[in-house]
Amino acid sequence: MAFIECRNLTRTYTRGTNAITPLDDLDLDIEEGMFLSLMGPSGSGKTTLLNLIAGIDRPTSGSLTIDGHNIANSSKSELAAWRSEYIGYIFQLYNLVPVLTAYENVELPLLLHGLTRKERHRKVSAALDLVGIADRHDHYPRQLSGGQEQRVAIARAIVTDPRIIVADEPTGDLDKSSARAILDLMQSINRDLGRTLIMVTHDPHAAEWAQKTLHLEKGRLVEQDVPQSTTAGAT
Amino acid sequence: MISLRYIPLILKQLYRRPARSGLTLLGVATAMFLYYAVQAMHEGVQAATEANAEDTTLVVYRENRYCPFTSRLPEDYGRRIANLPGVESVIPMQIVVNNCRASLDVVTFRGVPPEDFQSGMMKDLSITEGSLSDWKRRGDGALVGNRLAERRGLKIGDRINLGGITVTVAAIITSPHPQDQNVAYTHLEFIQRSAGNADGVVTQFNVKIQDPGELDAVAASIDDLFREAQQPTTTWSEKAFTARAASDLVEIVGFARLVGWGALVAVFALVANAIILSVQERVKEHAVLQTLGFHNGLLAKLIVAEGVFVSLAGGVLGLAASAAVLSLGTYSFSVEGLSVNLEAGAVTVVAGLLTSCVIGVLAGLFPAWQASRQEIAACFRAV
Ligand SMILES: Nc1ncnc2c1ncn2[C@@H]1O[C@H](COP(=O)(O)OP(=O)(O)O)[C@@H](O)[C@H]1O
Ligand SMILES: [Mg+2]
Repeated sequence: MAFIECRNLTRTYTRGTNAITPLDDLDLDIEEGMFLSLMGPSGSGKTTLLNLIAGIDRPTSGSLTIDGHNIANSSKSELAAWRSEYIGYIFQLYNLVPVLTAYENVELPLLLHGLTRKERHRKVSAALDLVGIADRHDHYPRQLSGGQEQRVAIARAIVTDPRIIVADEPTGDLDKSSARAILDLMQSINRDLGRTLIMVTHDPHAAEWAQKTLHLEKGRLVEQDVPQSTTAGAT
Repeated sequence: MISLRYIPLILKQLYRRPARSGLTLLGVATAMFLYYAVQAMHEGVQAATEANAEDTTLVVYRENRYCPFTSRLPEDYGRRIANLPGVESVIPMQIVVNNCRASLDVVTFRGVPPEDFQSGMMKDLSITEGSLSDWKRRGDGALVGNRLAERRGLKIGDRINLGGITVTVAAIITSPHPQDQNVAYTHLEFIQRSAGNADGVVTQFNVKIQDPGELDAVAASIDDLFREAQQPTTTWSEKAFTARAASDLVEIVGFARLVGWGALVAVFALVANAIILSVQERVKEHAVLQTLGFHNGLLAKLIVAEGVFVSLAGGVLGLAASAAVLSLGTYSFSVEGLSVNLEAGAVTVVAGLLTSCVIGVLAGLFPAWQASRQEIAACFRAV
């Protein structure tokens, strides 16, 4: 059984009498340790799929099994606890808490883990070091550039050492060189830490950093398993 | 409860809108200031009027008169009352008030014969400064209650003119009774002369009886004694006498308490509004916290805690300010020559703090509930 296994995965939103099905009967296997990119036109269901895998949304039907348990059946509070263990989420617009410093933002997910202040300090410092932003630990988000904010957000996503990291257009708001640096960072997290990484992107150059790219269209996979070089440095 | 490690997060959220949080806090402080002041009046009235089983003091007044200016009784009634069975001592008293207005700083003189006073009323009193013998020796000497002395900044030997009567402070007294804390005791003769009254006329008699159980019986026998006299009497227990005099005050205080409760409701609305606004502008941020694994209950607690922090901080500020103002001012209300202290106890402070907490909790509940039932994914979409 694959690490992440989607079977007949369907998500339908109803608004009044309208029903939209951004994810329609999707089957997908993702192996642990994979760096996968998801591409597709706007509205094709990429974010919807990512949110389902991240456990912040639940399928209307079908099953979604991750590491052996079907999270489609979990309650809201079970999902919350599960997320804090399994998921690191990286957003396009970083979503840092503006009143907290870089350090405090990265510390946030650790507050849930019953660690001492000292243990938290050790983990936060290591994460900030890893993303190369330790010197900005006491800066507030508004004092950082977009690329720096995204580094902090990545540190926040990896600080609890989750099994899966999802990223929704993480370079969508960055200039070319910042984007490259972020992609490089994500690739090394996948490679060196062995974390499963699923990245949604619009940018074919960005997708080239992944081991594998899937294409979604109208809620369905249109093309599967085109192997890519893992060392592609193209932009 | 909530773990201490979340407290910096809560405080930083409040500090995000310093003006809003500050004004909310100030609103709570104002309401709590009012609450404490009103409660102090209420407790003062209670302390002055609540009867207790050990009461042994009767007040003999002119029948159908309710004011120290109009109650006039012959001084020699005292001897006749003293002969009644059950009576321990009788003190004739002339009461003069320097000010007829409702005021927080009325000075009440009580003229008493020095010897009778020492044997009869000194039991509950103690002298903190000066001496009783000085007072007895000086014709214009005054024994000044501690609250009055504090309020006016009086020291031993001060010659002061209070409402046209000049006395010399001979001693300062303390007593558990609000009445003694706020009056100046002078020699009876001195006050009769100063107030331009005829000799031999007093306002009232304070009668100590032997057995508290006999209070009503002795009162009836005193009134019987003078039923046919030119100046008939009405005898009250001291507390009942004060309660009657203070009945207007009781109504005013009752109304003031309603206003106080109203202020608390208004403040609840204020705090709730502040929390609702701040939760509304943080919808996306709460979705981020939920994504990180903060479960709904924790999120709700964080929001409620924000309400509690503002409200409790306001409560502490308001109560402290109110207690400070009242204790520095040593205010007392005065009606018809009787004093009601403005002073509240620790229970009121604790109740005020609890009320602040409850306001905070209630104000946070609705926004907390709203925030915790939102769909995470939908929050990210609705920018
Ligand atoms: N919570 C929701 N309520 C209603 N419609 C939604 C919701 N989430 C997504 N959709 C719709 O589903 C479709 C796919 O959305 P999404 O997965 O965000 O696409 P993508 O990320 O590929 O651009 C869109 O038409 C979007 O409007
Ligand atoms: Mg999207």
